[in-house]
Amino acid sequence: MDYNFHWQPVFRRLPELLLAALDTLQVAVLAIILGIILGLLLAVLKMNATGKLKPLNWFARSWIELARNTPVLLQLFFFGFGLGALGLHLSPFMIVLAALTFNCAGYLAENFRGGLQSIPETQLRAARSLGMSAPKAYYYILFPQVLRNVWHPLTNQIVWAVLMSSLGMLVGYQELAGSAQYFASRTYRIFEYFAVVAVIYYILVKLILALSRLVAWRIFRGQGGV
Amino acid sequence: MLKKLLAACAAITISTSTLVTADTLDEVVNRGTLRCAVVLDFPPIGFWNERNEPAGFDVEYCKDLANSLNVKVELIPATWSERLPLIVTRRADVVIGSTSDSLERAQTVGFTIPYAVFVSQAIVHKDSGIETFEDMKGKTVAAGLGTVQEQWYEAYANEWGSDWKYQGYQSENEVFLAVQQGRVAAGMTGNIVAGPIARQYSNIELGPVLPFTADYVSMAAPRKDVSWLNYLNLFIHQQVRTGRYQELWEEFVGGEAPDLRTPGVYY
Amino acid sequence: MEMFSALRPQDLWFLAEAAGKTLWISTLAISSGTLLGILFGWVLSVSGRLGSMTLGAVLDVFRSIPLIIQLVLFYNLFPIIGIPLDPFTAGTIVLSIYTLSLVSNVVRSGIESVSQDLRRASRSLGMSYWQDMRHIVWPVGLRAVFPAWVGVALSVLKDSALVSVLGYVELLRASQILITRTQEPLIIMAIVGLFYFFLSYPIARAASMVEKRWQQ
Repeated sequence: MDYNFHWQPVFRRLPELLLAALDTLQVAVLAIILGIILGLLLAVLKMNATGKLKPLNWFARSWIELARNTPVLLQLFFFGFGLGALGLHLSPFMIVLAALTFNCAGYLAENFRGGLQSIPETQLRAARSLGMSAPKAYYYILFPQVLRNVWHPLTNQIVWAVLMSSLGMLVGYQELAGSAQYFASRTYRIFEYFAVVAVIYYILVKLILALSRLVAWRIFRGQGGV
Repeated sequence: MLKKLLAACAAITISTSTLVTADTLDEVVNRGTLRCAVVLDFPPIGFWNERNEPAGFDVEYCKDLANSLNVKVELIPATWSERLPLIVTRRADVVIGSTSDSLERAQTVGFTIPYAVFVSQAIVHKDSGIETFEDMKGKTVAAGLGTVQEQWYEAYANEWGSDWKYQGYQSENEVFLAVQQGRVAAGMTGNIVAGPIARQYSNIELGPVLPFTADYVSMAAPRKDVSWLNYLNLFIHQQVRTGRYQELWEEFVGGEAPDLRTPGVYY
Repeated sequence: MEMFSALRPQDLWFLAEAAGKTLWISTLAISSGTLLGILFGWVLSVSGRLGSMTLGAVLDVFRSIPLIIQLVLFYNLFPIIGIPLDPFTAGTIVLSIYTLSLVSNVVRSGIESVSQDLRRASRSLGMSYWQDMRHIVWPVGLRAVFPAWVGVALSVLKDSALVSVLGYVELLRASQILITRTQEPLIIMAIVGLFYFFLSYPIARAASMVEKRWQQ
């Protein structure tokens, strides 16, 4: 072996890397929140193909299929230089946020659709016949069950968003991976920087999973396991 | 007697140790291929031609070097920031990729004598209103990640205070694209690249020459492999002496090839 | 000498060739990752707590670190430990391990999804362990995890785009080369998007048809 590891410069940058990890979390969390809202909308639109909703149904289907059948890296480049060719300039942060949101919404829409379809319609009708208003019935009957059904895939999606936000480094966004690459381009020690960054990602993911389990335990208590 | 014996032993160990450690030159000759890293989004120095094959000044230098060794050439396309890791991890034998010979880099890889010299120049979007370097203050400026332009600019910009916005891109091509689309006001690159780019795009104009030092570029090779670096130095020398340097410069850049000597100092 | 040139019909062939490489590297990674994943998944399902604390924990690492970081790390690590690998080999190895880590998880949950009562019943009918695995666990478990496996395969197909960062000229890298030459990002991205779509979408459709047939 003819390689001497240089760890010291990486450890000196550790505070900056940890700050960058917060950027990673920020963009992933925002993408998930927007993805949930858009995903729900897409799921509902995909399930309703009648009358005036027809064009919107087609729109939702296209979105979902494009998001699920092309690489997220290509989606990222599209929101960068693709939109740029049309004169629309997003900042690197916005590029990552837009691409992750677009992708998450597509995947979550299918999860939500599965979650919604798994609940028999009779339940909703029963709730209405008991005198519940429609929003109330949705909120008290449908929503808790759907939430439980999609909790696991939703957690996976959050983890996925954190991992994929690392592609931000390819469009100039200095989140965790991007900062590491920037620092490494000065000292040319890519391996050392990425090894440390890999550990930070691992810890982030474990924290998210632990948090998800804790929350699930709190809200689904007494309803059986998730 | 004992001293003589020790000296003889030492001589033997030294000579055997040099025998067993083959240098890159031996490796290349035995392997039959030269692994030569180039940057291919830096026209006319390195680019993909219309048949989607590597072409350009640096690519011809790789081929000439391989010819001189009587081996085949394996071109390794690299981005700016990949160049030196390719040498550090020994995936390439030599980088002929317009690598500026900064002292910071010389702590990581070994440099040859310069084989070309550029001047740093900006390309600007036609609506940017940038005419001098000072005009770039407060505007978004781009460069390739891991280039000396990036590092030199950062030093200047730090003096300006917080009033600077910088955007680093993976490849030189993305810098051009960013200027052309108007994502950034200016991009920093080499003068010989700036010219063709400005001619190519109606949106891009030639910007100010940047107040950085002359950009002497060298080939990069493993730092400890002095015998290989010696060979490369001789190769660069011969390219100039045989007129090949001028010939390639005319073909790809045009005009008189720049003098590779720095006035007033030995290399 | 032409440094920039417009998109030509031949470039479509260039992209098609690159799409072939994408398909090839994904097929290699998915098949080897799946075979090993089945083996490792089975080991995980029989080795209990000890297995999940050792093997399971190691495999989990590959699911908890961004693929792009894994690719760059291993690509740089191989030459450091004295085995320099070209981008294709390094990419295939990393993609295979990544697939393996995902598939083993799927397989384990598939085996565990087969109810213990069913398996006890088959054993009490005189089936050997392997007969039980072959005739009960395999068909029942397969149906349970088939959609998840297809999901893994499709995501590996698309994630193979990340091998482009190592310099391997697959579909995505080919598109970047063309964008460099033609400076036409939008149209090239659209074409490449279509290529990926037509690689991925038919598989997704076929899989959901198979699923529906099984449900009948």
